Amino acid sequence: MSKHYFSKTEHSFWYKIKQISLPFVFVILSIASIGILMLYSAANGEWDPWASTQLVHLSIALVAFIIVTFIDTHFWYKCAYLLYAFALILLLAVEIKGYIGMGAQRWIKIGVLNIQPSEIMRVAVILAIARYYHNVHIHQARYIATLIVPLILCLIPVALVMRQPDLGTALIILSVGVALVFLSGAAKRLFVGASVMIAASIPIAWHFLRPYQKERILTFLDPERDPLGTGYHIIQSKIALGSGGLTGKGFLEGSQSHLNFLPEKQTDFIFTMLSEEFGFIGGASVIFLYFLIIAYGYKVGLTATTQFSRLTALGMTTGFFCYVFINMAMVMGILPVVGEPLPLLSYGGASLVTTFISLGFIMNARTHDKV
Amino acid sequence: MIQKLMEHLRHNNHHESDDSHPRMQGILPEFVETAHSRIFILNLFFIALFGLMVLRVADLTIIKYKPTQFCASLETGEEESEKATLQTKRGEIVDRNGIVLATSLFTASLYADPSEIIDPKESAKQLVSLLPELGLAEIEAKLSVENKRFVWLQRHLTPRQHHDINALGIPGLHFEKTEKRVYLHGPLASHVLGFSDTDSNGIAGVEHSFNDYLRTNSKPLQLSLDIRIQHILREEILQTIDKHKAIGGMGTVMDVQTGEIVAMVSLPDFDPNQANLAKDVERFNANTAGVYELGSGLKLLTAAMALDSGKVTFASGYDASHPITVGRQQIHDYRGQKRYLTLPEIIVHSSNIGAAKMAMDVGAVKQREYLARFGLFKPTRIELPEVSRPLFPSTQNWKDVNTMTIAFGHGMAVSPVQMLSAISTLVNGGILYRPTLVKKQSSEEIFGERVISEKTSLQSCKLMRSVVLEGTGRKAAVPGYLVAGKSGTAEKIKNGRYSKTANLASFIGAFPIHAPRYVVFVMIDEPKGTKETAGYATGGWIGSPLAGRVIKRIAPILGIQPVDENDPSILKRTLVNYTGSKLNGVHLAAVKTR
Repeated sequence: MSKHYFSKTEHSFWYKIKQISLPFVFVILSIASIGILMLYSAANGEWDPWASTQLVHLSIALVAFIIVTFIDTHFWYKCAYLLYAFALILLLAVEIKGYIGMGAQRWIKIGVLNIQPSEIMRVAVILAIARYYHNVHIHQARYIATLIVPLILCLIPVALVMRQPDLGTALIILSVGVALVFLSGAAKRLFVGASVMIAASIPIAWHFLRPYQKERILTFLDPERDPLGTGYHIIQSKIALGSGGLTGKGFLEGSQSHLNFLPEKQTDFIFTMLSEEFGFIGGASVIFLYFLIIAYGYKVGLTATTQFSRLTALGMTTGFFCYVFINMAMVMGILPVVGEPLPLLSYGGASLVTTFISLGFIMNARTHDKV
Repeated sequence: MIQKLMEHLRHNNHHESDDSHPRMQGILPEFVETAHSRIFILNLFFIALFGLMVLRVADLTIIKYKPTQFCASLETGEEESEKATLQTKRGEIVDRNGIVLATSLFTASLYADPSEIIDPKESAKQLVSLLPELGLAEIEAKLSVENKRFVWLQRHLTPRQHHDINALGIPGLHFEKTEKRVYLHGPLASHVLGFSDTDSNGIAGVEHSFNDYLRTNSKPLQLSLDIRIQHILREEILQTIDKHKAIGGMGTVMDVQTGEIVAMVSLPDFDPNQANLAKDVERFNANTAGVYELGSGLKLLTAAMALDSGKVTFASGYDASHPITVGRQQIHDYRGQKRYLTLPEIIVHSSNIGAAKMAMDVGAVKQREYLARFGLFKPTRIELPEVSRPLFPSTQNWKDVNTMTIAFGHGMAVSPVQMLSAISTLVNGGILYRPTLVKKQSSEEIFGERVISEKTSLQSCKLMRSVVLEGTGRKAAVPGYLVAGKSGTAEKIKNGRYSKTANLASFIGAFPIHAPRYVVFVMIDEPKGTKETAGYATGGWIGSPLAGRVIKRIAPILGIQPVDENDPSILKRTLVNYTGSKLNGVHLAAVKTR
């Protein structure tokens, strides 16, 4: 097998511009704008401190999106392993720094930039696995031996991120890795078998959990066990959601959010605030916008002409979906509180830029589609 | 584009059996086929999850919709707290209107497993920086203990402390969910509520008396206290203590028809939230645990027993022109009239000589019998653990001199609550009710014991009213609320002798006296006279005005309608009425000039 699935076709700049899906960009920017609006509301109708800063983040993110979109796929293909190695080194650096500093660490400072290596890894791991499968024949994909490399590519960062400890991001990297292996054609019985094994091991694993871990799981299943402690966030979130009704209380009128009953309303719980102020209609509309982005991502994946582009687009879309789902399910009390932001809506530069880069790769698969 | 792909697909199907010719250019149709089916499966899964999210939003916003504005958290909070109370081990204590006085909160308590502590010195340093009230050396010692897997470090952390300690990330520190008793009104009802220890066991007040009830019942314990009345009473007593530089004070308001205590204040008091910091004198409930020679208030009981046993009438009287000498003691009148006094005059002028002679007419045996029936010989049966026995001479030692001095309140010490019950009996038609701190339900039948006849009760009311109209109770008068009562000044015993400077200045009274509803007792401990009181520190100058101020403020809250005091039907019930009395004329004249 060799790397000949790429054609030598050059994509002209104008072709790329024509290929850019304006509705896709429009939907993305809509969600980001709604996010800024909500940040304005979160600060009780002030641009500072969040909305104005988020605008700066957004412009940086937009530049990153354009760069990723226009750089030739060949370049990304070539860089994939390098980028992965770079992200891995940063993760290890954080781990070592954390070990020396005696505490949890997620950030590393390079020059003036505070970098969160797990965010880079989120993108890099998809590119690396996509590159690997680009060179794997569909028949080989069914062999277990083929799984070794992607599993290593996926599990090393998962382990490192989990140690930070950032369970949410680790779960997302793991899910994306598994989804990519699945999409690449690994035998279905593997997935069935793995699901059965996980289900079977839950009762055994329960015995090995520490009391506080058990308490946390029990509190997730029944937040009222500890209404002022671990259950507090989720109870408040559900109260705020429940007070929204069909049409909500109106912009800037969400009492639960504005009176600070709702924690982290500008980041993790921004969807709750949105649903409180705009009700079911607002919440469902935003979910629909996310749905459009994801549907478009899969459409690009379906029509991509190279395995690398296809898997990149599908991986980025799946990652995006996981982020959206983990956050929303968390604030609605379907999943435990793991502390992940909602992409495009939540405040935070690192998350916004990474999300735009991910979406840029979807666009990139579209703009470089000539066989 | 898709058509092109489909073409590939068809082409590939055609050659399915031939695997040896993988297409080396562009994308392999098999990829497309596999990918399509796989994407289809994955998308089904994701669409299902999207559906789940939309349904959940609908569930939370529409189905579980709770229309709330600012009180959103309060309303829903109630529901949560209902669930929480199921877990709360100890029941709440509420006042008669349902206002919460004591409740339990879950808190985190910090303990350590020393075997897990890596660096006790550093850990202790970090801990003490967050909990400065802990001693560094002590914590370090606790964390260094060997062969022990559990040491308490600090109980009942605040949520912020809990969070901050968690954020330190020191292995070996753990939290346990504990229960903390919280008294929402601080010291306001401290002596009634009492307090509980760190393990939420009641050790004083109703917390102790009702410990078993509170432990096993999720229903709140409803007290007879009215926190509004409690607040007014405490505020007024505090002001008087302040103004007269007194060392303490106390007061109780009781419903005469049920024996329910509506307010009970003893000062100085303490914050039951920090009961461990309270001094003994602050924890002392003077209303039940203190026994005092209450002075002139007893004269009302003496008059009542004399009237009830038929020894005297309003028209009869005694010669009070000379002191009585009994053995080595002499009984004087304080600023005496030095003349013959009718029964009402004895009360109005607070004549010790008159009261003593009256008691001698009743006789020691009858006197003891009445005092016992008034409940003065046994500790009060109120629901508090802090109750003292009354002090009085035994029957063998009960000499004439005791009969005489006890007639005007000396030589016998009772608790203020006992006295209040007795006075309540005087005005309520003659029935003694057990004083209680628990709210009576309207359906509840209340049992009492008859002590004096209704007629005697009515006469006693009139005597008490005459003191406020004419005697030392004048400053307790509140227009429209028909206050009646008797001031009292008892000299405190200091170094075994009655002190001329240290007084207990009190007022005991009832209102509205034409149809008595409440009795009030207030007492100030060692007040100093001021210019305003002409230098006096007596019951009439300090106790009476204090009672008047209290009644003026609490009567409207207790739902008592002010009445026209000169209404003939009311005058008939409240004025001393006997022919030929000089006093009656004075009374009527006084009423007319008002």
